[in-house]
Amino acid sequence: MLGVFIGSAAVISLIAVGQGAQASITSRVASLGTNLLSVTPGGQIAGTLSPGDASAIGSLPGVSAVAPELSISGAPVVLRTTETSAPIVGTTSSAASVRDLQMVEGSFLSQQEVTRGLQVAVLGSLAASDLGKTPGQLLGRTVDVDGVPFRVIGVLASKGGSTTSADNVVYAPITTVEAHFANPDGVFLSAIGISVAPKADMTTVAAEVQQALRSRHELPAGSPNDFTLFDQAQLLSVAVGNSLVLRNFLIGIAAIALLVGGIGIANIMLVTVRERTREIGIRKAIGARRSDIGLQFLAEAVLVSLGGGALGAAAGSLAAPAVGHLVHVTATASPGAVVVAFVASVVVGVLAGWLPARQAAILEPLTALRAE
Amino acid sequence: MAEGRGGVAPFSSPVIDATGLQRIYTVGSSTVAALRGVDLVVRKGESAAIMGPSGSGKSTLLGLLGLLDRPTAGRYVIQGTDTSTLDDDELAALRNRAIGFIFQAFNLLPAESAEDNVAAPLLYAGVRRPERQRRAMAALETVGSADWRSRRPTELSGGQQQRVAIARALVGDPGLILADEPTGNLDSVSGGEVLDVLDRLRDEGRTIVLITHDPTVASHAGRTLRMSDGGFLGEELCSTEPDGAGA
Ligand SMILES: Nc1ncnc2c1ncn2[C@@H]1O[C@H](COP(=O)(O)OP(=O)(O)OP(=O)(O)O)[C@@H](O)[C@H]1O
Ligand SMILES: [Mg+2]
Repeated sequence: MLGVFIGSAAVISLIAVGQGAQASITSRVASLGTNLLSVTPGGQIAGTLSPGDASAIGSLPGVSAVAPELSISGAPVVLRTTETSAPIVGTTSSAASVRDLQMVEGSFLSQQEVTRGLQVAVLGSLAASDLGKTPGQLLGRTVDVDGVPFRVIGVLASKGGSTTSADNVVYAPITTVEAHFANPDGVFLSAIGISVAPKADMTTVAAEVQQALRSRHELPAGSPNDFTLFDQAQLLSVAVGNSLVLRNFLIGIAAIALLVGGIGIANIMLVTVRERTREIGIRKAIGARRSDIGLQFLAEAVLVSLGGGALGAAAGSLAAPAVGHLVHVTATASPGAVVVAFVASVVVGVLAGWLPARQAAILEPLTALRAE
Repeated sequence: MAEGRGGVAPFSSPVIDATGLQRIYTVGSSTVAALRGVDLVVRKGESAAIMGPSGSGKSTLLGLLGLLDRPTAGRYVIQGTDTSTLDDDELAALRNRAIGFIFQAFNLLPAESAEDNVAAPLLYAGVRRPERQRRAMAALETVGSADWRSRRPTELSGGQQQRVAIARALVGDPGLILADEPTGNLDSVSGGEVLDVLDRLRDEGRTIVLITHDPTVASHAGRTLRMSDGGFLGEELCSTEPDGAGA
């Protein structure tokens, strides 16, 4: 009973912690925004995306917001004597929600500021810290971006990704960027961020966006896209969630847990049966057949294993969050893990309780009686 | 009465009829001949004591007579049934029906009450529960142990345990009672009580074979067989009841 109990509890806790770790990694990736689609110009030809493309996408059903992005790479950003370099991204107020931008200070570009083409800027956290001031100190100050003065109206929180590039950025109204920095040949967007409506299907919307862009760009059927459409967050989270490394790691943990738990269960059950060899001898002496012994021990092993397994499953489910807390992982015993651990513990318990008893039942009663 | 006090009754049918019983143990590469071809006839209603030094093969013989072990060679007929061709299940059924065991170490099932211990042989005989309980209680009463029916073996003294064990040996009304040093683990008082019970069984005409180191215990039996080095040395008949002697 104790063996099966400990075995199944340990297996459940371990699997839960493993799954918790996997879930926390996946969710961290997913927090990039699973409803985000991005369109970038096609590989060979830059300048295939126009603001018109962005508004066309914005009117598609299933699209809740669109943020066109007009980037000027590596512009000098100067605050008095301090200088740093960051790309200027001209966009609209939608970028805050589409790109899931969080403010630490001030606010993001408003619709009004965008329509009126005001010289206001929102600094990424790295761009802000490179200017040597706290976000609070930067608010309301004027920075020169490639010689054009912008008033700082907000500072972003760090995106917390593995690379810092997402934080080294200066956002400004797309109208302002267009007016001061635009390419004389026309306005070419560097990206269009698309927020898909919560209820809409990602794949369907992606297909519609692709269709809309192809027809706007008058691409003949069969020709390659002159843009790249990707579902970054989903790709990433699927890639991470399904990554072989993480999966194998989890399977490895579960396998080790099952193995260790199984050995523990089998060991305790074996010891129990050995201790009871004398009892088997007594029962045979008074007329029990092999099958009587086998059946008795099978029934006992089933009862004990079911009881121990159930209690262990309960204890494991309760212990999992506590164990997870120790290692800073939100570990919740998934029903799958509980079922697997319970079934495996019961099977091992039953076999380890029953098979050796069947072996002992084959002994001559006198031999079994002499066992200590 | 020709059969009084477990004396030999030549006209009664043999309960035990063993010829040339051998038991050779193999331990690693060496062999131990614990029994070197023993002949024994015990007739219905007889009581026989087996004596002999330690290691002379007494328990080995009793194990064979009780179908707890198989002989290396020899023929054993118990109550008319030749046991040499029986399989494991048939031997179990025969033990259950024909033999009651009393062990030196009592050998009760530790997790079960006295009553369940006594009823256990009936369980394997397929007797239904109410009938099992009724007969277990009756058997406990014959050994004066009815008061302890719900106690576990650990809650009983050695003498009490042995009386429960005797009740278990009697419950199936077997034709043969085998006892290996039944008083060996008991003090003289409880040993005496157990002996009284055995005397009563003998007087009821039950067939009893017991092993003992104690001449007093042996003197209660109709015959005393002496063993040495895996064989019989000789036999004494009960001096107090010489009538019916004819073996
Ligand atoms: N399982 C076994 N394996 C090997 N040898 C055995 C085994 N059982 C008994 N023997 C040997 O057989 C011989 C007879 O043993 P047995 O137990 O029959 O003696 P016994 O007369 O009952 O002795 P005691 O009075 O001490 O109980 C001894 O030499 C013993 O060592
Ligand atoms: Mg002995």
